[in-house]
Amino acid sequence: MKNLLGAVTLELPVSRGCLKFIMLFFMVNTLGLQQPGAAVVPAGVTLHSTQTIIRNNGSEPESLDPALIESAGAANIVRDLFEPLTANDARGKIVPGVAERWSQSDALTWVFKLRPNAKWSNGDPVVAQDFVFGIRRLLDPKTASKYAHTFGDFFANGKDVANGKKPVSELGIKAIDKTTLEIRTETPITFMPGLLANPNLAPIHSKALETHGKDWTKPGNLVSNGAFVLKQWQVNSKVILEKNPQYWDALQVQLNQVTYLPVEDGNADVKLFETGENDWVYQLPPGSFEKTLQKYPAETRNSPMLGLRYYSFQTQSAFFRDVRVRKALSMVIDRDLLSQRVTADGQTPAYGLFVKGLEGAEVAAYDWAQWPMAKRVADAKLLLQEAGVKPGAKFTFIYNTSDYHKKMAIFAASEWKTKLGLQVELEAMEFKVLLKRRHDGNFEMARNGWIADYNDATTFLALVKCDSDQNNNFNCNREAEALIQQGSQQTDPAKRSALFTKATELVMADYPIIPLLQYSLPRLVKSYVGGYSTENVMDRFRSKDLYIIKH
Amino acid sequence: MLAYTLRRLLAIVPTLLVVIASVYVLLFSAPGGPFDSEKAVSAAVLANLQAKYRLDLPLWQQYLHYLSNLLHGDLGASFRYADWSVNDLVADALPISLTIGGTAIALSLVIGVVLGSLAALRQNSWIDVSVMLLGNLGSVFPSFVIAPVLVLIFSLWLRWLPSGGWNDFEPRFMILPIALLTFINVATIGRVMRGSLVEVLHSHFIRTARAKGLSLRLIVVRHALKPALLPVVSVLGPLAISSITAALVTETVFSLPGIGRLVVNGAANRDYTLILGLVVLITLVVVTLNLIVDLLYAVLDPRIRY
Repeated sequence: MKNLLGAVTLELPVSRGCLKFIMLFFMVNTLGLQQPGAAVVPAGVTLHSTQTIIRNNGSEPESLDPALIESAGAANIVRDLFEPLTANDARGKIVPGVAERWSQSDALTWVFKLRPNAKWSNGDPVVAQDFVFGIRRLLDPKTASKYAHTFGDFFANGKDVANGKKPVSELGIKAIDKTTLEIRTETPITFMPGLLANPNLAPIHSKALETHGKDWTKPGNLVSNGAFVLKQWQVNSKVILEKNPQYWDALQVQLNQVTYLPVEDGNADVKLFETGENDWVYQLPPGSFEKTLQKYPAETRNSPMLGLRYYSFQTQSAFFRDVRVRKALSMVIDRDLLSQRVTADGQTPAYGLFVKGLEGAEVAAYDWAQWPMAKRVADAKLLLQEAGVKPGAKFTFIYNTSDYHKKMAIFAASEWKTKLGLQVELEAMEFKVLLKRRHDGNFEMARNGWIADYNDATTFLALVKCDSDQNNNFNCNREAEALIQQGSQQTDPAKRSALFTKATELVMADYPIIPLLQYSLPRLVKSYVGGYSTENVMDRFRSKDLYIIKH
Repeated sequence: MLAYTLRRLLAIVPTLLVVIASVYVLLFSAPGGPFDSEKAVSAAVLANLQAKYRLDLPLWQQYLHYLSNLLHGDLGASFRYADWSVNDLVADALPISLTIGGTAIALSLVIGVVLGSLAALRQNSWIDVSVMLLGNLGSVFPSFVIAPVLVLIFSLWLRWLPSGGWNDFEPRFMILPIALLTFINVATIGRVMRGSLVEVLHSHFIRTARAKGLSLRLIVVRHALKPALLPVVSVLGPLAISSITAALVTETVFSLPGIGRLVVNGAANRDYTLILGLVVLITLVVVTLNLIVDLLYAVLDPRIRY
């Protein structure tokens, strides 16, 4: 099962002179008090007498500890249990969470004002220090969180704290008073409110953690501050949450109980839905989308996501060292055919690093995307000829065993064979082996995919940045790198976006990857589940926003 | 016989040591580790993770640590299920797998022996043909084909039973998985029983019994059944063990929280401690089952003495 959480590790060195300059021009930016956007039941809708939902979550959560979670499934549950400073509403929009408003006192300092009525499930007030404790703990090397750098590097001293070079007390987060939290960053992080909606950055009740030690996430022990509390957790069977009466917005929460199932098998998931034992199919099994759409037109939902399916070139391998070869291979794949006939599940063609719906940069496409295929093939043949690659040349493509990936790979291989005369050897392997080989650069071409951690261009730039842990293509464009760094210093969103867009164009001209499709999540959700939106590009649905319509 | 049993029990210790050592070598030579994920972790975080799980120690030290913990009944912390210890996971999953597997084996033994005997006694009749057909169907169709058919009939068409899931040993969630495992096992036991009884019924001592004028019922119950059960007992051991492997499929298809799911997830996620714990557990089960089968031989066959 793929991990539906991507991540990013950003390195944003700062020039002090540049910072002073920015700060001179910096206007204090205060966001007005916003509606928290709980379950809004439209007029005319009658609610069902029992407000319970069963959501399949695709896999067993690896943990319910905000610092240790990494999969989309675990994040779904933790998002219901814990409320960070901000949150994504049903349409994915950033809304206040525990923080009722926030402002920037300068380009590098954010001040969050916590709502005074926010409470833990045991009745204790949620205070700024709980966030300081939770976020310091996420970065503490002793916690050994895989997300320590992903989010921690945005905080002042975050990188050093996560590496154990500085104590956690030096992290750029401070409780000014009980309801005021100050966060300092090393570079301007314009998307800070969106970033803070991640459940990894939730507050932690330090006393509950101390009392119960490693068992603090077990039912009966877990003290949480979200709309729901943990009632039951049986591994590989279910996690049951119950409405939290202490939650500050409890009046707006409609559901009384949420059951999360860990069903991995897509066919079993659909059967549970058909027999009424499940209201929410995590993801339709491959190849079943059109059939399901005909059978359940009102209940089949397909939301585009901030995610990219792509193939990585090992740009230092003998076969793909020449950019002309990489370009030729990218040009000849008919993405329309791939999306409409091969995967046939509503995913849309992608021709760039950024996908539709992403903020912080323009979604650009290669100019040849508009050309007729015959011209693309003719150009590609010419490029191969110039690069000295003769028809019949052979390379290896690696992917993790899955019908879906296999189908896509066979299609791509047939495109390269029929259009360019290249031979492709397809090699399937276990997911962990693929990850290892990709990370070690031990491949020629490999299947890859990425889901955004937050809605900003930088999450995708991590795939192509020079020293990024996520760069599997081993290509480094210094000119683009400089632009990305300039962009990271910008506080003007338009200038920042322009710099990132330009940087991406430069990188994409190196053809480090073959963008193929934008992810979507085709699933079944019962028609009586209210509050579901197909506009939620982050696929983050708080159960707080859902309700059951009379049926 | 007691001395023999004790000797066999003592032999478990070296068996376990060899099994654990081999699994260690296999696990650590398999490419990819527990901390490889879509999101690459930095060297600093990896070092923290390895230190947390003692993976930074040399392999032999890890092995000794593991053995020492094992002696204290501690199977270690799981990597995949970070909030749980392997002891917790096994304690929750084992009763579920044992209930389903044990019930299925018991049922299939009774049904298989009865059907096999009927087929043997009524050779070439419609009963025989039906039993053999059932036996062949059960052997030919793999569990991942039969299971969805059962779900289709009993969950989607008739709506009698849930298509999967688990709720605290509630029988309606157990019926389909038990039925599936029973069906597969009955197929084997029935065929073996039929063949074995047919053979016994043709042997000299049965002819002698018949010549003495004993009734068929008496002959079968008193003289033929015991020796005919020997081959059934021999397949019972491997069958019970194959129920563990069958659980990998049944538990996935029916979404059951048993040992099979842990094995699949443990292996795919390189959860070293979980796999080791399960291997220790399964080794113990296998060794014990083999011992029981060997002891049963002595009960059934007067020629065998330990």
